[in-house]
Amino acid sequence: MPDLGERGHVMGPQPIAAIVQPPAEMLAAAEQLLNALMRGDHASVEAMTPAHVRDEMMAVAKAIPPNKYDKFELIGRARVAKHYFLKAQLTGRNAEPFKFQFRLGATDGKWTVREALNLTGRRSAWSR
Amino acid sequence: MQRMIPVDKLARPEDHILLPANRTRNARSEQGLSPGNAMPYEDDFLKSRMHGICGGEFQAMEAAGRTLYDFPDAPWEFQLDMARQVWDESRHAEIYMKLLEYVGSYYGEFPEGEVLWSCTQAEDPAARVAGINRGLEGLACDVFEQLIRIAQKMGDTIIERSVDYVLADEITHVRMGSQWMRKLTEGDPERFKRAQEFQDRIDELFNFGPGRKHIEDVDHVKQRINDKEIEIDSGITIAREARLLAGFTEEEIDRLVKGFGKSSAY
Repeated sequence: MPDLGERGHVMGPQPIAAIVQPPAEMLAAAEQLLNALMRGDHASVEAMTPAHVRDEMMAVAKAIPPNKYDKFELIGRARVAKHYFLKAQLTGRNAEPFKFQFRLGATDGKWTVREALNLTGRRSAWSR
Repeated sequence: MQRMIPVDKLARPEDHILLPANRTRNARSEQGLSPGNAMPYEDDFLKSRMHGICGGEFQAMEAAGRTLYDFPDAPWEFQLDMARQVWDESRHAEIYMKLLEYVGSYYGEFPEGEVLWSCTQAEDPAARVAGINRGLEGLACDVFEQLIRIAQKMGDTIIERSVDYVLADEITHVRMGSQWMRKLTEGDPERFKRAQEFQDRIDELFNFGPGRKHIEDVDHVKQRINDKEIEIDSGITIAREARLLAGFTEEEIDRLVKGFGKSSAY
């Protein structure tokens, strides 16, 4: 969407509701997960992953060589009610960018990974 | 020439999240929500419904464009109608992007699904228009008519008039679909039957979620939207009047209600 400037100065209908901001705790959990993945700290990754998701999360974790990546970027975010799908990209000086998608959801205030998918060689989670 | 294009070949920005329907359903089920899309009694209903429609408008625009491109030997008038539909759907996408902003959302807040694009997966232009123009756009009539009634109860003329403007086009698209489905299959009952079967499959595709009913039969739930508490439909309804205007027969509408015993879309 083009930047329309200061909305309050624009004639016409103004928004009737506010945009839902992502919870800071969810973003902190994502950062914690991504840092653990870059370090190759599988124990921390497992601690954030319920048993039924462990296999797919660890498949992503094992595909990331430890300490090869030093930066991460959250390049996409979409929510389904209160769960967040995040697309992340890891980059390092001598490494091909690593892209994957995961979903975070909270139970009793604790954000955990609910699904994970390596996007290497695919355009989206839809690709077969 | 490749006529069956996977949904994730559609041009989308890198920050966009495209999901198969089962992943969205899993995410909703895990949160104790009905597995289909946001229902009228959920807080996110308006945002989520408009987001789904906006994605549908994008994919409908792309679908009409592909139909134009895929069938260069189709009658010139057919191609003109498809070109006109691309133009209509692009305006609808713009309208819904503005409406999303209006209700405090933006395109990309929720994932985009692939279900609507599957309506394009037919090799025959007669089946394409049966599926997209009659199946999908017929469904849009139902969803838009319900949104208009909700906006009327909210006293929100912005949503009411914007959606009514789009609904008028959708009625035209359904009529266009009915006309071309008949014309392209003239003298070939087998081809007509295959096109009808494709449309039936699409009608079935949306056969998930809670019950679809006539407007007068549907239950209501209280919903707080901003500073107002209003009564809205608890499920998806059939827009009988709009469908009749679009050229559906009473029999076809009854068949949809019976066949769509458990239906929800967007």
